[in-house]
Amino acid sequence: MSKKKSFIATLSIGRYNLSRAWYKFSRNPLSVFGLIIFFLIIFVAVFAPYITPYPEHAGAYTNFREASKPPSLTYFFGTDSIGRDIFTRVIFGYRFSLILAVVVLSLSIPPGIILGLIAGYYQYTWIEVTIMRITDIFIAVPPLVLALAIAAMLSPNLFNQMMAISFVWWTWYCRLVYTMTISLCHEDFVYEAKLIGASNTHILLREILPNCVAPILTKMTLDMGLVIIVGASLSFIGLGVQPPKSDLGTMIANGARGLPTEWWAAVFPAIAITLIILAFNLVGDGLQDVFAVEEV
Amino acid sequence: MLSASPYTRELINNKMGKYIILRLLQTVFVLFCLSLLIFFIARVMPGDPARVALGPLATREQVQELREEMHLDKPFFVQYYFWFISVLQGDLGKSLYTRRPVTTDLKEFIPATLELMIFSFLISLIIGQVMGVFAGYFRDSWFDNLFRVFSYIGIATPAFAIAIFFLLIFSYILNFAPAVGRLSLGLKPPPQISGLLILDSLFARQFNTAFEAFKHVLLPATSLAVANIAQEGRITRSSIIANLQKDYIIAHIVYGIPMRSIIFKYLLKPSLIPTVSIMGLDFACLIANAFLVETIFMWPGFSRYGVIAMLNKDLNAIIAVVLIIGVAYSLMNVIVDIIVSFLDPRIRLQRGGI
Amino acid sequence: MMPLLEIKNLHVQFRVFEGELKVLNGVDIVISEGEKIGLVGETGCGKTTTMKSVLQVLPTPIARISTGEIIYKGRDILKMRPNEIQNLRKGEITAIFQDSLAALNPVFTIGQQLCDVVKYSSRDGDRNYLSKKEIISRSIAVLKETGMPDPERILKNYPIQLSGGMRQRVCISEAISIAAKLLIADEPTTSLDVTIQDQVLRLLIRLVEKKNMSIILITHSLGIVRELTNRVYVMYAGNIVETVRTKELFANPLHPYTRGLINAIPRLTGEGISKGIEGRIPNYLNPPAGCRFYPRCEYRMTVCLEKPPPLFTTGDNHGIACFLYKE
Repeated sequence: MSKKKSFIATLSIGRYNLSRAWYKFSRNPLSVFGLIIFFLIIFVAVFAPYITPYPEHAGAYTNFREASKPPSLTYFFGTDSIGRDIFTRVIFGYRFSLILAVVVLSLSIPPGIILGLIAGYYQYTWIEVTIMRITDIFIAVPPLVLALAIAAMLSPNLFNQMMAISFVWWTWYCRLVYTMTISLCHEDFVYEAKLIGASNTHILLREILPNCVAPILTKMTLDMGLVIIVGASLSFIGLGVQPPKSDLGTMIANGARGLPTEWWAAVFPAIAITLIILAFNLVGDGLQDVFAVEEV
Repeated sequence: MLSASPYTRELINNKMGKYIILRLLQTVFVLFCLSLLIFFIARVMPGDPARVALGPLATREQVQELREEMHLDKPFFVQYYFWFISVLQGDLGKSLYTRRPVTTDLKEFIPATLELMIFSFLISLIIGQVMGVFAGYFRDSWFDNLFRVFSYIGIATPAFAIAIFFLLIFSYILNFAPAVGRLSLGLKPPPQISGLLILDSLFARQFNTAFEAFKHVLLPATSLAVANIAQEGRITRSSIIANLQKDYIIAHIVYGIPMRSIIFKYLLKPSLIPTVSIMGLDFACLIANAFLVETIFMWPGFSRYGVIAMLNKDLNAIIAVVLIIGVAYSLMNVIVDIIVSFLDPRIRLQRGGI
Repeated sequence: MMPLLEIKNLHVQFRVFEGELKVLNGVDIVISEGEKIGLVGETGCGKTTTMKSVLQVLPTPIARISTGEIIYKGRDILKMRPNEIQNLRKGEITAIFQDSLAALNPVFTIGQQLCDVVKYSSRDGDRNYLSKKEIISRSIAVLKETGMPDPERILKNYPIQLSGGMRQRVCISEAISIAAKLLIADEPTTSLDVTIQDQVLRLLIRLVEKKNMSIILITHSLGIVRELTNRVYVMYAGNIVETVRTKELFANPLHPYTRGLINAIPRLTGEGISKGIEGRIPNYLNPPAGCRFYPRCEYRMTVCLEKPPPLFTTGDNHGIACFLYKE
């Protein structure tokens, strides 16, 4: 549970909380480990063209002489069936994963939050009923299934993949914020704000929303991992980035054909995906520690 | 409260019964809207499904004929109306891909996935909960640390990656379990009663077949179960750790109740509540991940059928698949809610039960 | 007469991330049969830790007893084997906790919990449990003893359905269904409102006297202690600082801390607001080497810094841990 604070109180706490947050976060070595991996992956993905050994392998490139070579010092993760260095492609694949995560969450969280706030605040009106029934429809099916269905109907590329997942994802945030809002909007500080004459927008954004920040942030970091899994699942089936580019999901799918003899083509991308999701999950766990109210 | 009135009237009078009925009605309504949504998306998407179904070599007249047959030229609500009527009669349309009625396809494929999910659920229940309880009770022991590492990795690895790892290790390297399909070639499947191969084989006393079927289901079911073991086990573990600190456990100890009774009765029940609440959501993940695991293991299941339908823009099949998943998921949530109400009297009382 | 329970020089430490919290710093308590002892002190001074040490329910990986003895009827609890401790729990020592809602398992009925307590504590030898009917009738009997109306219905209720006072009575029932000699009551009425407090406390004392039990009443209310106990132990920061008969404590408090406590009680007559005690309880990570009350004491001396004062005894069995009273 978050401590409930009014607007005035929130202003004054800002900077003090940051160093305290770091202290709580760093208490768990696993979270710090996750954070390090997290930054490492981001760094590597951003500077991919400069640090990978064979940046040209990321796109259209064929070299059948070097095809399907096992991991070695020249090709760290081996080569795939067309002769491209898997290590390079994995790092470029991280780019797609990160882009996917960032875009999907940026697109789905703000509308989700806003709709959740509105639905929770205007309880017992047709606004709430409409919004929440729509949310219910989306939540009635696991997100992967719905995203899959939508993505299958559009032509397969990265943009559509992101759109399909975002289309489905906002509902979870809407519901989260909704449940928090309905309990918060009866708190004293909201009544006080109304008495002073604060506008509804002010109340929603400045009084209620800051108290929802903690669970939203935690869910966000865990969701980054989930979104990547969903994205990889979609690409695995072929609904994501198209060749010659490929992200981690398609690499695993292509590599799976070569099992068991050319195992490296599937195993390394799989390990890579596990690593990034692990990093996000660990950071998310650490954030939960930061926001948890400690018992005496 | 327990008068001599008929059972249904008693159920409706009972507040708990009212709650259940309300939930079920809500579910039906939501599913109805879901069907509308999916129908809408399916019809609105670009491309001509009739053309896709018949292929590029078909003549224009053939395509037009199919379009009329599928009511594709009519307005949206008319199409929906036709579809709805046929669903009520049990006809889910024809699959454009397999060219059979969708219901036939479903009857063939659902038992396979059902078998997979039942096994997966059993595995995650037995292994996951037991490990969770031990890890929680023996906190910080070597077992607990091992479990925690395992659970982090288990949650982070996507199910299809796990499937690949398992395939590699157990099937190819260790040759422990077969890789493909439900039954090896050359073995005759038993007469179909429930569609669950293992059960049917046991009924028909074909024990060898049953064993083979069991070996085949082992790897896919375990791949699916890993994520659930990790997540549910973790929740059980932290639940047990939290409840061990609770004052009532100390009170039980002080009043002389033996440790054995405390662990298996007084500690277990409250600790299972958060885990059960999550099982509904996890069941959804099971269905979702089954899509991919079935593809890898070439398990002829409902989810794989769904994926192929989506890739081929097989309208009727897609709608049917999404609806069935919706039904299963919603039902599961209602069941989980009821179970939690039984376990936790605080929630039950809140909902007006006894 | 041999005392019922004797706690000698008990030192308990808690291992936390920053180091070791030296919570109990040599606690000495003696209680005889039939005595009613009050254990007074502010929050955080170690009362509950003392109680948990006697009951052997300290959170063991974190807490440990570094030195000391807890001698019950002549035998040291700290050296007992687990099954002997289990026997203590079933028939000798029992306890009541502060928060009755937390002390009852929320997902089981009162009946289930109470009957289990009755069942396991009435087992004589290794095998002979009472029959189910007998267990239920005993449970109902013990509920009636604590003044519960309609005990049969209560058995079917869940803890959350009862009010605070009734829950505490249920806890008392659980405690006295064990035919114990010693009852430790940890702030049993702190979470109740005042009228119920009175009822519950009187019930407690009545039961204790009827069954000839000894009771250690832990509280931070001097008023309760004054009314209901024979003897008081005043605790501060992990030490017993004063112990004497109750009447004597209020008539003639000797330790500076006790004086401060008694002076802090608001009075209806006299001038103005009563004076509190300045300062705060010490940091248990790095407690002062000498007397732990040193920073807040009005009568500080240099010797108080050097070593912790032992419990001196003046006449009239008045124990006081302060160098002021060194003979």
